[in-house]
Amino acid sequence: MSKGRRWVVPLGWLALLLVATFGMGQLEGVFRWIEADSRQVIYARADFVTLLGRHLLVVSVAAVLAILLGVGAAIAATRDWGRDFLPLVSQLASIGQTFPPVAVLALAVPVLGFGTLPIIVALLLYGLLPIVRNTLAGLEGIDPGVMEAARGMGMSGGQILRQVELPLAAPVILAGIRTSVTINIATAAIGATVGASNLGDPIISGIVNGNTAYVVQGALLIGLLAVSVDSLFSRLPLAGSR
Amino acid sequence: MIDLIHVTKRFGDAVAVDDISLSVARGELCVLVGTSGCGKSTTLRMINRLIEHSEGEIHIDDQQIRAFREETLRRRMGYAIQSTGLFPHWTVARNIGLVPRLLKWPKAKVQARVEELMALLGLAMEAFAGKYPHQLSGGQAQRVGVARALAADPDILLMDEPFGALDPITRQSLQDELRELQSRLHKTIVFVTHDMDEALRLADHLVVMHQGRIVQQGRPLALLREPADGFVESLLGGEDRGLKEAALLPVSQRMLPLGPRLLARERIGQHASLREALSVMLWRHAERLTVVDDDDLPVGELSLRRLVGVRSDE
Ligand SMILES: Nc1ncnc2c1ncn2[C@@H]1O[C@H](COP(=O)(O)OP(=O)(O)O)[C@@H](O)[C@H]1O
Ligand SMILES: [Mg+2]
Repeated sequence: MSKGRRWVVPLGWLALLLVATFGMGQLEGVFRWIEADSRQVIYARADFVTLLGRHLLVVSVAAVLAILLGVGAAIAATRDWGRDFLPLVSQLASIGQTFPPVAVLALAVPVLGFGTLPIIVALLLYGLLPIVRNTLAGLEGIDPGVMEAARGMGMSGGQILRQVELPLAAPVILAGIRTSVTINIATAAIGATVGASNLGDPIISGIVNGNTAYVVQGALLIGLLAVSVDSLFSRLPLAGSR
Repeated sequence: MIDLIHVTKRFGDAVAVDDISLSVARGELCVLVGTSGCGKSTTLRMINRLIEHSEGEIHIDDQQIRAFREETLRRRMGYAIQSTGLFPHWTVARNIGLVPRLLKWPKAKVQARVEELMALLGLAMEAFAGKYPHQLSGGQAQRVGVARALAADPDILLMDEPFGALDPITRQSLQDELRELQSRLHKTIVFVTHDMDEALRLADHLVVMHQGRIVQQGRPLALLREPADGFVESLLGGEDRGLKEAALLPVSQRMLPLGPRLLARERIGQHASLREALSVMLWRHAERLTVVDDDDLPVGELSLRRLVGVRSDE
């Protein structure tokens, strides 16, 4: 695949996402056919660009925090001084994912109030496991001979981490981040139930008011966003096998 | 140069290395040999502190190794292992330049040193510098591993079965190259192997280990002639010992000056081993060989009686 060609597919999805976001109004005919009974068939409480922006913001903030926390914890648990915490770290990450995000929201709202904060916490916890698990797998999967040579040559712990472990584990770590972010783009929609306005809004509002057209609009944009981001990740230079 | 004084290593309750004392002189190639699990690698790795010894003292140039920072100590010693441990995401040139870069040599000096080492180990610069480890054959990868170990010109080289995974022909040519290299560089080398032929071929000083202890050490010929016990004897090849000894002795040691007799038809070089001479005799059904120098000029003769060590000839 030539350098330019590799970006064709993700850019195509991205273009489709933008067209759908800005041009949803043009599809009024289609949605009127889906939802013939309703007076209004295009979700209008907020424009889709704003909703998309907020959706992306929530997912990005949660992803950055999950990466810092997840990669950091996995690195710490694979150092000599942190080995004792290895089982604990992987267990905590698993619990984070088995705990349903809706339950996290329910628990977080009384403490953090309505709005964006509880959904960020829920996404952070939910997205941690793939990152932690893959970072651990990536670091533990390095050829022991390579690690032995690195130490035997006189590299310090920090040099080994930066120059050997992270570069070699990068493809696996990146795959974990990709899974985490893609899942969370879909999961973020439930944030609409606690007042974090994002692409989940049309869906929730559509369910509440019995307006299928709204649901389709929200779902369509979330789906396109997830596919675009996933496709971008798959084209990152590190994501392929090295 | 390297002194181990009553060194013991325990892993939990298990004793991996049991009260060993060993001195390796500067410029000497010391081979640790023994069956698998007898503590060779542990001994080697205690010298560069990849493993901390439990008891005793280890000295480098009369200084305790614990007086150095671990990284400083290791950068002073080359380390080559069977699996090579080359960094798969780095090119050959970058792999070789690792330790000089750790020591913060200027870029140009690192580059020059990498070129020098690749030439020394017969790796053509244009063909190999930009290659990645997975593109190399086993023998080439091991050459790169040795080049990397030699990169910062350390006095000491630690080698853990570096040729153990190679086919016999590649292994032998790398052994010959190591001897050749050593005759020029005079490093102090500790070399671990379980292959007695390799040990005999390489060693100035041979150390036989068994169950964490040193059972005998000395010059290879001395061990062959007087093994301390049945274990050393069987490790040295039992019935094959005669052939192993013959492989260590050059023809020039047993040949007689040219006599008045006609030259024998079959020839052998004066640097060949007695074992090779014997093989030629067996193969050619010849009792006498003419010994020739590097220019193929006759310099002496070798009879079967002389070869097997019967003193008076005729
Ligand atoms: N890190 C370790 N932890 C526990 N036991 C070890 C460790 N390394 C080596 N051993 C044990 O020490 C003994 C000697 O091992 P080693 O030095 O690797 O043997 P060799 O290199 O001669 O084959 C073996 O019984 C091995 O199981
Ligand atoms: Mg070993």
